[in-house]
Amino acid sequence: MPQRLIVSPTTADIAEPLADEQSRNFPNQVGNVAGATMDELAERLMKRAGREEMPGPLKKVVVFWMSGMGCDGCTISTLGATEPTVEELLTGSIPGVPIVVLHHYAASIESGDAFTHALEQAAKGELDDPYVIVYEGSIPDENLTVYGEPWAAEGSLPTWAPDEERRSVPTAEWVYRLAPGAAATIAIGTCATWGGIPAAEGNPTGAMSVMDFLGEEYRSAYGLPVINVPGCAPVGDNFTETVAMLLLFLNKQAPLPEFDEIGRPAWLFKETVHRHCPRAGWYEEGTFAEEYGDRECLVEIGCWGPVVNCNITERGAVGHMGGCMVAGGVCIGCTMPGFPDKFTPFYKKPPGSTFSTTGSRLLGMFVRPLRRLSQLERNRESRWHDEVPSGWALEYDTTTVTHKVVEYFYHKLQYFRAEKPGRQDEVEQYSSGWVTPAEAAYGEHYQVLPEKRAKLAARHNAPRREWTAPQALEREVPVSPSVDPYGLVHHDLEERE
Amino acid sequence: MCFQNLPIEFDEQGRAYLREEVENPYAYQRHEIDRSRIEELLARNGHIKDVNIDPVTRVAGALAFHSVVDLKERRVYEANSVATLFRGYEVILKGRDPRDAMFISSRVCGVCGGVHSVASSLAIEMAFGIAPPPLGLALRNIQLALDFCLDNPLHLYILAGPDFSEVVVKNTNPSLWERAKKAETRHADVHGYETIAEIMTALNPLTGQLYLEGLNATRVPREAYAILYGKYPHPQTVVPGGLSTTVSLKELNETHNRIVRTLDFGKKGVFIWNELTDFFYDADPRYKEVGKRPKNLMDTGIWDDPFAYDGTYANAPEWGLRRWATPGIVIDGELVTTNLHHINVGLEEFVEHSYYEDWSNETLRHRFDPAGNPISPHHPWNKETKPAPVHKRSWKDRYTWDTCPRWDRHVMEAGTYARMWTTAAAQQLPHTRFLESTGHSLKMHVPKTVLPAMDLEWRIPEVWNAFERNRNRAYHIVYCQLVAYENLLLAMDLLKRGYTKVATPYEVPQDHRIGVGFWGAGRGWLTHHLEMDKGALINYQIITPSTINAAPVDPFGNPGAYEEAVLNTPILEEFDKPEEFTGIDIFRAIRSFDPCMPCTTHIYADDHVVSREVNTCGCGIE
Repeated sequence: MPQRLIVSPTTADIAEPLADEQSRNFPNQVGNVAGATMDELAERLMKRAGREEMPGPLKKVVVFWMSGMGCDGCTISTLGATEPTVEELLTGSIPGVPIVVLHHYAASIESGDAFTHALEQAAKGELDDPYVIVYEGSIPDENLTVYGEPWAAEGSLPTWAPDEERRSVPTAEWVYRLAPGAAATIAIGTCATWGGIPAAEGNPTGAMSVMDFLGEEYRSAYGLPVINVPGCAPVGDNFTETVAMLLLFLNKQAPLPEFDEIGRPAWLFKETVHRHCPRAGWYEEGTFAEEYGDRECLVEIGCWGPVVNCNITERGAVGHMGGCMVAGGVCIGCTMPGFPDKFTPFYKKPPGSTFSTTGSRLLGMFVRPLRRLSQLERNRESRWHDEVPSGWALEYDTTTVTHKVVEYFYHKLQYFRAEKPGRQDEVEQYSSGWVTPAEAAYGEHYQVLPEKRAKLAARHNAPRREWTAPQALEREVPVSPSVDPYGLVHHDLEERE
Repeated sequence: MCFQNLPIEFDEQGRAYLREEVENPYAYQRHEIDRSRIEELLARNGHIKDVNIDPVTRVAGALAFHSVVDLKERRVYEANSVATLFRGYEVILKGRDPRDAMFISSRVCGVCGGVHSVASSLAIEMAFGIAPPPLGLALRNIQLALDFCLDNPLHLYILAGPDFSEVVVKNTNPSLWERAKKAETRHADVHGYETIAEIMTALNPLTGQLYLEGLNATRVPREAYAILYGKYPHPQTVVPGGLSTTVSLKELNETHNRIVRTLDFGKKGVFIWNELTDFFYDADPRYKEVGKRPKNLMDTGIWDDPFAYDGTYANAPEWGLRRWATPGIVIDGELVTTNLHHINVGLEEFVEHSYYEDWSNETLRHRFDPAGNPISPHHPWNKETKPAPVHKRSWKDRYTWDTCPRWDRHVMEAGTYARMWTTAAAQQLPHTRFLESTGHSLKMHVPKTVLPAMDLEWRIPEVWNAFERNRNRAYHIVYCQLVAYENLLLAMDLLKRGYTKVATPYEVPQDHRIGVGFWGAGRGWLTHHLEMDKGALINYQIITPSTINAAPVDPFGNPGAYEEAVLNTPILEEFDKPEEFTGIDIFRAIRSFDPCMPCTTHIYADDHVVSREVNTCGCGIE
């Protein structure tokens, strides 16, 4: 298993309570199964593992992670991040980054009112520590549910009230109440950043993004507009990196990172995903995939990469592995404000690509054959002249007259006003007249194969070892037996691509 | 035959028909919920308590739970599972190009990653009349086995694990903690923990070794997933008729390495969860009652045989049996069928206690499935969904956004264990390189890695409860690793032999078509039912494992699986005063199902009505 920064546990005892913990005094303990909230566990960790000696004024930041109309994909994606990992953030292992108390329905040790209590405190402005909101999923229009249960709810209020006195609290209401006091509000994923699929054409819930819900005038307590980390699901590293950079800023350890005009981390979303795509070279040569599984550029089977702001081909999806087009998946624009309806139907060729692919096809017609010629020559040692002496070379591209002519001029051009390797000029020779052993033995045309060297050696009276000539094959080459554990019929080679 | 409640019988050819003498074969009388006794008890007794848990954390998505608990008798009188999220995917899918369904339905659940896009592609393949080539199927199997290799550890070590950790056990059951400190483990040679208490410490959130290793262990299969599927969650290379992955030995080698790297953690997990389960059983046999419910389970099977699957509904019973997990229905511990047609025709969905309007039987579109078997007006292919955000929550009436799927009107349960149970009991498993179905167990021959080679055996349990669910999940990780591994070896062989195609070309048909995808998630089976015409979807519906497990009371008065499990749970935690009650036993019962509320989302679209989707996502409990 690859080693990450944290794989071994800290020995700090987090099972023993500290003196001034509050949760054991809650009116009832339902849901408080550990007799401690995540916040209290983080305090124990800080006190007992020396995490208090952190640079900067902030020691601890509460992150309220809320989910509206989401699928939890952003949460899952974040758990897979490695730059940094969530456990590095949660255990305060990065100097200057305050310990993150994650208040999350999928991670918190406490449930029910013990969980909702912290949200309630923050909404009332009674929370001691600064907090950040992370919102996943889109925000439904709860005006449509005035007479019923909300489309999306998290927790019920008042806490510890009898059943009949309670009401479900829409996640939208939590955002409305918590956002003004938050150090920062981060929308994670395309639902929260731009509305995404729950807000697509035909939606029944009137869903929208956090930015749209809070409005243009919104600023956090630290003066920041909504920060948007898009993607469906986003690359986990894009999110944890943004959080880490932001926490360094909040903790006065680093400058505010750069965001673009719609709140995206600029260093992550400035470029199109096509620019780092391993298939972009195929586009340039005008060759395109025609079927699923082909290795060429995917534009003609529906890829929108050339116009999409995303970095997954550069960063990979998880642990720097994968990435949509890296694997062979077309870009459907899932990081974009126009997703999904400005990219559907998926797998239909984007109309704009016709013009550009025609252009690259025309250019490719000239470029490709020239490149193949140069490539062929560069696939040869300087010791090979007409033949390729490889045991694998049952077939090999043969050198034609055209090739030789082209290569002659190419060679001239390559070394025009440039230094050709080797001692060409008299002043470049050794002044003593010393020549290298190879040249002494074979003459100036020593860049040849052993058979030819044998002849040259005879001409120069050079001493020879007996075993230096290539051996003739005197035995039969065994053919590896075919293993057929599945009893498959042998497939006709013609069906190969 | 296999149906006890629906009047379905079979002729000599095995075709289903409705018993003729039954006038309204699918009619039923709605059973009203009577809370009067509970209300009276609540009013009279201080020790009987309304327990609201909103939200239930450490589940995927939003779940809330309400129960009435007698703290003196230490038993549960009432339990209600509440889904508090609705998103409307089926409405959104309506009228779209069917190819969009794979990407859009994938977004139903970010925990189950690609299972929805694959289920969707199966439904589309059936509708289009195509099937992927062998390599496409093998790669699909690898990915969807790897999916669970990260999903299940996430549950065992991050979500459910903390319930068995030192911080929790010390708080809820101090005597158990004292006992754990003295309880020596039997397999320290495998996992390195000398006592049960050490295992519990390792399960502590934030600092525990197993918690941290578990987090990390989810990343390794994710990487392999991203290599072949582009990203995780929501894969990018699932297409109708296979995959669009460009595959070479490089991708297969990278996948191979990651499968192998997860094997040790899988092996360790089996021993850890065996030790923990046995410890709790020994400490107090009443732990066998926690999360107990009847042995009614079902699964549709998953992982198709690359040389048997043809994507047709007609041949579903045959290709179903060739799967790496055998489809099946278990009633009272007995396997009653392994036929995918039987499984499909027995499906019904009810909304009496959910925030939806019922749909009219007059708009019945399908009386028969494509093979001529009768289907209910409540079958997904007939369903019309009408969300109604006008109901206030009431335990007597409607209380959840989740619907209530039933099979033959039995309360069924979905899970990794249902998958392994039907596979173990059916003895039909054709793939015996690493796996063996014995009729009472599933044997797994795990190759040597850093830890030595092992023969692990999951036996069908005698009791059915929360601990057995978790124990099974640990075995299921190894099962999936072996399925992935076997398919990887198969894929390498296919590639070498020239079976390089990963997808079958298609045209989007313009006539009326119908399709269903039978597939599986990390917490049990799921289905996608679709109907299309003129090149667009006219109806799309999803049933997920958590839709079934988190279901409310059905119209016949039977509580859903979570509810039933909680009702049977004894309160074993230690407390002096009622205020000190934390509900840990209830939490263990609920979490043992690995609830996935985003997944409980229904996707449904229809011509005439506003379609709805039910999402059991992390609802608040009340």
